Amino acid sequence: MEDVYVEEFTSPGCVGCPAVKAMLEELSREFDGRVIVEEINIAEDASRAASYGIMTVPAVAVNGNLLFTGVPSRQDLRNAILEEMKED
Amino acid sequence: MAAKREPRIGLFLCHCGKNIAGGLDLEALAESSKGLAGIAYVTTHKFCCSEGGQAEIAGAIRGQNLDRVIVAACEPSLHLLTFQRCGEEAGIEPQFADLVDIRKWTMPGSPQKVDPGLALEESRKTVELAVKRMRLKRPVPLVTVKAEQAALVIGGGIAGLEAALDLADKGYQVHVVERQPTIGGKMALLYKVYPTNDCAPCILAPKTAYANIHPKIELLTNAEVRSVKGHVGGFRVEIVQSPRYVDTDTCTGCGDCVAACPRRVRDDVYAAGLGPRKAVFIPYDQAIPRKAVIDAANCLYFRNGTCRLCEKACLAGAIDFNQQPRTIGLSVGAIIVATGFEEYVPSAKTEYGFGRFGNVVTQFQLARLLDIDGPTKGRLLRPTDGREPRTIVMIQCVGSRDETAHPYCSGICCMYALKHAQIIREMVLPETEIHICYIDMRTPGKGFEEYYRRTRDMGILFIHGKPSEVAERPETKSLVVKVEDMDIGRPLELEADLVVLSCASVPPAGSEELSRILGIERDDSGFFKELHPKLRPVETRVRGVYLCGAAQGPKDIPASILQARAAASFADGELRRGTIRLPASMVKAEEIEKGGA
Repeated sequence: MEDVYVEEFTSPGCVGCPAVKAMLEELSREFDGRVIVEEINIAEDASRAASYGIMTVPAVAVNGNLLFTGVPSRQDLRNAILEEMKED
Repeated sequence: MAAKREPRIGLFLCHCGKNIAGGLDLEALAESSKGLAGIAYVTTHKFCCSEGGQAEIAGAIRGQNLDRVIVAACEPSLHLLTFQRCGEEAGIEPQFADLVDIRKWTMPGSPQKVDPGLALEESRKTVELAVKRMRLKRPVPLVTVKAEQAALVIGGGIAGLEAALDLADKGYQVHVVERQPTIGGKMALLYKVYPTNDCAPCILAPKTAYANIHPKIELLTNAEVRSVKGHVGGFRVEIVQSPRYVDTDTCTGCGDCVAACPRRVRDDVYAAGLGPRKAVFIPYDQAIPRKAVIDAANCLYFRNGTCRLCEKACLAGAIDFNQQPRTIGLSVGAIIVATGFEEYVPSAKTEYGFGRFGNVVTQFQLARLLDIDGPTKGRLLRPTDGREPRTIVMIQCVGSRDETAHPYCSGICCMYALKHAQIIREMVLPETEIHICYIDMRTPGKGFEEYYRRTRDMGILFIHGKPSEVAERPETKSLVVKVEDMDIGRPLELEADLVVLSCASVPPAGSEELSRILGIERDDSGFFKELHPKLRPVETRVRGVYLCGAAQGPKDIPASILQARAAASFADGELRRGTIRLPASMVKAEEIEKGGA
């Protein structure tokens, strides 16, 4: 099984971001650290957000694909990560 | 299922001259990076962005059979495109070329600069994450989408109109959304413009008139953007147009309704609060569209159900009290933000007495008093007693360059103070004594220093010092300005019949909401933020959304026009092929409901 690399796009004052952050921390624990999460503050790294065409935060990209904008359900997020893990 | 082929990543560490190499041990960084999973090749180069640097990257891609590339150097907004293009030349898709910033920890002057040991540690972490990300990244499929041959321009001032006319002349359908009932923006209120002292409406009117009749331009006045979804090439925009209560198709702009209206209120826009208008009004003579509008908050019919005199006076039958807000949906390929600025309201600077003393006005109010179409028909009269002022003191940097208000320099106030001093001296009240109290006179711009000298030569008096207080003599309503002249080191008390405050330019109300709707950022001052302050001053972090004019930061008319043309050029560059290649994820993302910040 492959590791999964998750980019979590946030900004200061974002209402939905803490919920997504908590979910990802939980999933990272569940999968024993094999989910690598990078938090990107779009105010500091605008070009990464621009490369995905992100117009709103929170947003989540998994292994280079933007999969969620807004707050996803925990189940959807978990399924997306599992999907990436079983790909190979 | 066959195992995924392990990617071959090339890592290029840039010295950036001494900017990076001088602040951390790059060889140690190279050495420690060699063992990272996925890394097939590591090297350093003095300047990766140089022709030689790019040639080396391209050579390594081919020679080492690399399929992904990471450059560790400067900010991605500076050079990501450079390395994506370089990789593409050598056969790597742009999405598999990345640039990460390690220079922020080493470059002299960088706020994040740390000691060499810590810089190495931070750079290791950055590189490690970038390699991990690149190794696991799956190819993002690209899809072709239609690029709508239409644009939205938000703001109908000089910048927005310039951009709109440019795009419309190139053949795009342009929708201009303006919050006020007329286009023209701040420039329509200026009377004259520096450095030529042209009459502002005289050079603005040809543009507003052309925009009004242009077959490719739709003007949506009294309207605001409510929501924007989608992506470059295919933004879906919802606009709400407030009712005018006048049918613009039948209104002839004759003004009979205005004459009949019994309700007189203060005109805060065209008379800058110094004169009246009616509850039904035509903003000004050259207004476009030249149609009446009813101010429902002050109209007697809307307040207590009586009157309707305008309706009786209108022979065309254009008055329509039943109009409702109209929601308009548009599909556009690009959006240009040209929402301009507002003049800082200086009441908070209590030491200058604005709002308390009737003869303390702002430069925008002075412009209206000087205008032959203004509330005094061009006669410069004191608001309290209608007398001509014999002494005028102008105070610079009110709310600008001021840590208690706005720290930035608004850039245009020195020049408009000089302009007004010239106009008063040459055309209005030649005998009136004018003092300008300044911290620094800032006049960069073509012909501007000469303009400053000419003002001095006219006998305008300059005092190097920022006044500490303005006091009023209750019996005459004249003012006393206390200032220390720093050149002679002496406190002065200047008698003034009129005090004029040169106030900061500030972002207009609603900027925060618009930034949320568009997904673009604002800077610390509240103006919309460009992608890079030096190299990408027109783009935003949302592809297809561009900035121009004072929406991006205080600027004068020539600079606004320049940026408007640049924004139009960017929009044209994106849309002209008729289709756009986008990551499939980006197109999919628009279908997902937003629920974020």
